[in-house]
Amino acid sequence: MQGTNIPHFFLTIEDSGLSMWVRDNPFWAILSAHALGMALLVGASLIVALRLLGVPADLPLAPLKRLYSFIWVGFWIQVVSGLLLLIGYPTKSLTNPDFYLKLALIAAGMIVMVMLQKRVFADPGLSEKDMMSRGRALAILSLLFWAGVVTSGRLLAYTYTYISYPS
Amino acid sequence: MNLPQVHLLLNHWPILGALIGLALLLIALVTRNYDLKQASFILFGVLAVLTIPVYLSGNAAADAMKKQAGWPTSLVDAHEGAAVLALLALELTGIFSVVALWPSTRSAKAEAQSKSWPTMAVLIASLVTAGLMTVAGNTGGNIRHAEILTEGEAPSSIAAMGASFILAVRYFVIDYSRWVWPFVEDLHFIGLILLLGTVGILSIRTLGFLKQLPVGPLHKLIPLGLIGLLINVITGLMFFIGMPFFYTGNWYFQLKIFAILVAGAILVLFYCTGMFRKWGSVGAGEDAPAYAKLIAAASLLLWVAIVIIGRYIPLGESS
Repeated sequence: MQGTNIPHFFLTIEDSGLSMWVRDNPFWAILSAHALGMALLVGASLIVALRLLGVPADLPLAPLKRLYSFIWVGFWIQVVSGLLLLIGYPTKSLTNPDFYLKLALIAAGMIVMVMLQKRVFADPGLSEKDMMSRGRALAILSLLFWAGVVTSGRLLAYTYTYISYPS
Repeated sequence: MNLPQVHLLLNHWPILGALIGLALLLIALVTRNYDLKQASFILFGVLAVLTIPVYLSGNAAADAMKKQAGWPTSLVDAHEGAAVLALLALELTGIFSVVALWPSTRSAKAEAQSKSWPTMAVLIASLVTAGLMTVAGNTGGNIRHAEILTEGEAPSSIAAMGASFILAVRYFVIDYSRWVWPFVEDLHFIGLILLLGTVGILSIRTLGFLKQLPVGPLHKLIPLGLIGLLINVITGLMFFIGMPFFYTGNWYFQLKIFAILVAGAILVLFYCTGMFRKWGSVGAGEDAPAYAKLIAAASLLLWVAIVIIGRYIPLGESS
């Protein structure tokens, strides 16, 4: 297993100046940004989902639409910091099946959030009761997907085969 | 000041505090004094936070001792065992105290409808805590005062139980399976999301964003944040018990614990005073009072800093 079937361009990325820069001192700062982006994206999604499931019941539901700006800011923080981390350690992530699982779960999580936005929050004429009945199943799905994203993401640190391109 | 000194400075507070808190609670129950009862709950809440650095710095004190030849490690292990049980009992007492304080911090109506079981839970937990604290104090004293030990005296069975508890937790976290640590990490991140999601939305609303939301109903998210905090205290302790040597001398870890204490102190101040109730009556579209904004900004900044410092802990390994 000398990694002969690992695409050579992983090494090209690893040898680039940007990749070496990421692995140098900003690495922990980028990881911190990735943790805070997670708190923003998943934290805001969690509050939307919980309210759709009835907690807290007396909180007005329609204004939570504005949490979507926090969700999108969190999402883009994750995209940028995640890409930088990927450029720093391309072989480590791209040879790990768990990484692709995480990407798929992120896609699923974001699709559910956008569906919620369109089906529940886009129509201001809906009553809270209608919003909740339309959003319940999607809210449960979003909680499951985000828990999966966080778990598969955290496990990336423990499931890799190569930390860098095998020499 | 180094960590063993911190341990010596703080280590009598949980013991005396637990006994004083229990005495206050008993007097309050006998004389039916409501304010005294609330005071004992607040004291237990404060102690639950304060005792964490006492326990953590104890490892540094033990490390400092083990450098000297001839120190009885069995006495240190016994003390550590009693201390971890006392810590867990006190944390439980603190949690029940927060639950018991909860109605009175929300509204007069909630206060009138409050139930009595949380008080009973605090009473039972604090009785256990007081007993375990005396064992922790006694075994701790034995370390430094060999002259008071009787020849052939049986070691405390409670302390021995605690010492095996520590070994069992360490075995579970480190050796039982290579997957335990990663999943405890996962839980620590889930707790982080619950805690920061709650602190985040409350702070952001208080600072004047999302103004259409009334503050009162947002209160109901606070238990969610407290559950997150609880998950992270438990999982954090599991990391610490698993690899104490990794954390004790780690500068980032020390800074993180300090920041958590400051954030905790701010929350206790806010929660246990009239400020919280007044803030809860801020309706949709209304501006929160200036002190609430100050507290919101401070706690949001602190919790963000705590996440960042926590992410840097692996970097402090060599220090």
